[in-house]
Amino acid sequence: MNPRRITLMEAVLVGWAVLVCARLFDLQVFNYGFLLHKAERQQLRTIDVSAPRGVIYDRDLHPLAMSLRVDSVFAVPSQIHDIEATAHALAGVLGLDEKDLAGRMHASRSFCWVARKITAEQSLRLHRLDLKGIYFQKEPKRFYPKGTLAAQVLGYVGLDNKGLGGIEREFNPEIQGQRGSMLVQVDAHQHSYNHLSEHLDAGENLVLTIDENIQYIAQQELDAAVASTHALRGTVIVERPSTGEILAMATSPSFNPNDYAHTNPSYLQNPAVTDVYEPGSVFKIVTVSAALQEHLTNPDEPIDCQMGSIWVGGRLIHDHARFGILTPTQIIQHSSDVGAIKLGLRLGDDRFYKYIRAYGFGQKTGIELPGESRGLARPPDRWTPMSIGAISMGQEIAVTPIQVVSMVSAVADGGVYHSPHIVLDRFTGPRPATLPQYQVPLGRRIVSGRVANEMKMMLEQVVLAGTAQPAQLNGYTAAGKTGTAQKVDPGGHGYSKTDYVASFAGFAPLQNPAITVLVVIDSPRGGHEGGKVAGPVFKRIAERVLPYLGVPHDVPVNSAPPSLLAGAHPASEGSGRSRGELADAAQAVTDSGTSDTAEINGDQQPYSPAPGSVIVNLGKGLTVPSFSGQPVRVVAGECERLGLDPILQGHGVAVSQSPAAGVAVVPGSKVLIRFSE
Amino acid sequence: MRSAWRDFDWFLFALVLLVCAIGIVEIYSATLGTKFASVYIKQIYFLGAGLFLMAVFSRIDYKALLEVAPWLYVASVGALLTVLVVGRAIFHSRRWIPIGGAHLQVSEFVKLAIIIVVARFFAESKAPPGFGDVLRLGALVGVPMLLVLAEPDLGTTLTYAPIAVVGLLLGGLSWRRFGVLLLGFVLVLPLAWHHLHPYQKARLVSFVHPEADPLHSGYQVLQSKIAVGSGGLWGKGMAQGSQTRGEFLPVPQTDFIFAAFAEEHGFVGAIIVLALYFLILTRLIQGAQLAPDKGGGLLIMGLVAVLAFHILVNVGMVVGFMPVTGIPLPLMSSGGSSLLFCFAALGMVMNVRMRRFVN
Repeated sequence: MNPRRITLMEAVLVGWAVLVCARLFDLQVFNYGFLLHKAERQQLRTIDVSAPRGVIYDRDLHPLAMSLRVDSVFAVPSQIHDIEATAHALAGVLGLDEKDLAGRMHASRSFCWVARKITAEQSLRLHRLDLKGIYFQKEPKRFYPKGTLAAQVLGYVGLDNKGLGGIEREFNPEIQGQRGSMLVQVDAHQHSYNHLSEHLDAGENLVLTIDENIQYIAQQELDAAVASTHALRGTVIVERPSTGEILAMATSPSFNPNDYAHTNPSYLQNPAVTDVYEPGSVFKIVTVSAALQEHLTNPDEPIDCQMGSIWVGGRLIHDHARFGILTPTQIIQHSSDVGAIKLGLRLGDDRFYKYIRAYGFGQKTGIELPGESRGLARPPDRWTPMSIGAISMGQEIAVTPIQVVSMVSAVADGGVYHSPHIVLDRFTGPRPATLPQYQVPLGRRIVSGRVANEMKMMLEQVVLAGTAQPAQLNGYTAAGKTGTAQKVDPGGHGYSKTDYVASFAGFAPLQNPAITVLVVIDSPRGGHEGGKVAGPVFKRIAERVLPYLGVPHDVPVNSAPPSLLAGAHPASEGSGRSRGELADAAQAVTDSGTSDTAEINGDQQPYSPAPGSVIVNLGKGLTVPSFSGQPVRVVAGECERLGLDPILQGHGVAVSQSPAAGVAVVPGSKVLIRFSE
Repeated sequence: MRSAWRDFDWFLFALVLLVCAIGIVEIYSATLGTKFASVYIKQIYFLGAGLFLMAVFSRIDYKALLEVAPWLYVASVGALLTVLVVGRAIFHSRRWIPIGGAHLQVSEFVKLAIIIVVARFFAESKAPPGFGDVLRLGALVGVPMLLVLAEPDLGTTLTYAPIAVVGLLLGGLSWRRFGVLLLGFVLVLPLAWHHLHPYQKARLVSFVHPEADPLHSGYQVLQSKIAVGSGGLWGKGMAQGSQTRGEFLPVPQTDFIFAAFAEEHGFVGAIIVLALYFLILTRLIQGAQLAPDKGGGLLIMGLVAVLAFHILVNVGMVVGFMPVTGIPLPLMSSGGSSLLFCFAALGMVMNVRMRRFVN
């Protein structure tokens, strides 16, 4: 054998080996990424799956929204021999269109969803059928155990596990957790031979400031009021004034987020933050408190209300009643438009605007809910000459319920504004052993404590003897302001003749208020005054919520609101009409024998007791409270409310009283109280 | 002969066993969970049988084998005819004869006969072969080639040719005549094209344009390249080759075992296996040069020709250098007949080596 030829053959082998090595290097090193991608693309079908969403709790860690793991069904059509028969069986159990399903199963060989998030019963029936090529994949489904409760706050979740409204939307990235994919590994024949779903970490859990019991009370009372007044809808917000925590936020009509698809889309919005309205007289709180803070008036200054009309910016504005001389207290009490306008004029555009902004109007409150409106509070350079008049009485300005409740809370909390919050805490993992604590954000002082106190006194008069007497509470002091605003006519300029927004914003009890409640009733039929329509809702909610919160009574229980007994307004005394209507009301009174001693304020609508509430013993069992340490104004207010005739001596805080606290007296009894600095 | 075991090529034997072991592990890995899952056990049995066959052949004097070459040739042609008539058709191809529980591929054993026949052909001639010799050799090798082609089994048919070519080159065929032969071959090719089966044509077309029809003819080459490339430098790990496990890679335990191995063990693993094959071939060539006579040398070089052709074409196919021809990778690919042939041939080679100082 020729050695040179053998060497030649070896050379050929070496050359080939070098070529192959170079090629391997080219494929496995240079083109590695590209070919790996190609491999993965043909081997893996990724199907999006979601991690379970975090739980939404109320403040006591009761779940309001949770995720259940339910079955979704998918088919691997290549493994199914008779697609039509399988589609028929599936369609029967799931209530699907058989042809459509068969079409979808024909369209893909490796994977097709049959139905997502089926019920447990459907799943059981399908498991029993044991169809070849049909598989189950657990998917998280949102479940709202309390149904309609706080639906507009919580929002709802679409089929793709994305939050579409409320907290669910606002905190979607946090609650949602990881978005993962189920990898269906397919082989060359498009058989899926393996499906791996990675373990996905659940989303963050959210704790709301909402108290589910308070929310339930608010929802129940609001629903009843909206039904009885045939209103378009209503909103209630319950806030803790000292912190800005929202304890309840109810909208009526509500909806069931478990079945949002079959809901009128307009119900899905949360009007408490998204909708604006003209606040009307509630806004006089801003006007009067600003005037007080700027030392432009004092609660007892006599102001000429010009018998019900005033020229502003070349237009004559009529009050709803022909008032003569009123103090600012009475302006608030009787909701005099002329009086409010006169105080607004004293403030002037720029100063007034400063307070409007300070109270948070015209800007978002920053509450953790989507779609919040900033309302409309135009700067003074865009005001007309008559704007100040309109705004002083709450027109020409658009506000959201959440802005109003925050403003009233600021007054209730001694002049400090707390921005409202609905999210208390966030955590991952299991439920903590202890309840999370709300971190109270720093407040912002708007008016002094003195002005806030003066405002509280005035607002109490509204409830005691003003426009909001239906809002009087049994066993608690309360304060607030009514608002009755004509809705802007959607058809053109000006205001609607028939559609009103009736509202009441109040707080209770007077000292250290535990709750601020705003009730907004949109387009009630029949009566439309804020005091009459919204006031009773406030009363019913507050009378249930305050005991629930463990707030001690600061007024004897079971004593009827004194304004029913003592004529706070002498002008109305002897009105036969009032007596007749009172007799109606007194049917519910257990001790009807006292009804002849009662008189009703003539310019008020008769008080009709709330269903189920009982007014008892109008004449007996009135107990003199302890006035010790209370200032003159508080004592006077208390006495007026209780129907006692106070004799006040000295200045400062009460140091002694006669009769002593706890002594039973009849209404109208004189009580001597001495004050000392 | 008693002392001859000292001259047994233990190094070559170790290399061959190592490659076989790698092959068995890869067969196991590539077929895990498929209907071929037990194939690796069969391969182990065949390896045992192969070792036995090697021991037997290392005991048979290669000169005696060269003596009986004509009879071996006649027996081979007879066996091929038999298989054509009574052989079992698997995949539309009659190649196998059932013996015991196994199906033996006759054409593999004919390979051994052809190596012996070609060695005998050139062992006796002193002068460089002329065209007459070329024609005689062509006829001699051509008849079994045609019989195998008729099965049909293009891959195995082609493996006979390198034995003849290497024999001619080492038998002293002048370069001028070799050139003329090559030219003639190229001219005959178009004629052969017409006799190819449609799927064989498709394979050749797809080799030239693999992306033209990626789901059919070009599919295998493409999937093989994806498998090799996605293995990267270090590979996906044993039994982790998704191309292999997902059956994207066709017949990963036989023709595409190198692709499966490269996917799971990466560039590094592939280079190591190639180096092992290269060592085996050079060791064999070394052995041929030390052979006591021309016949022994030609026997070894015949085996080198077969192995080198298999490796060249198979690996070339896997990396996309060559069309898909159905030629397995010797020693690694699952397949009893091929393994038995290899070990029988190795036994023969061992005999040549052991006899280098006896004479």
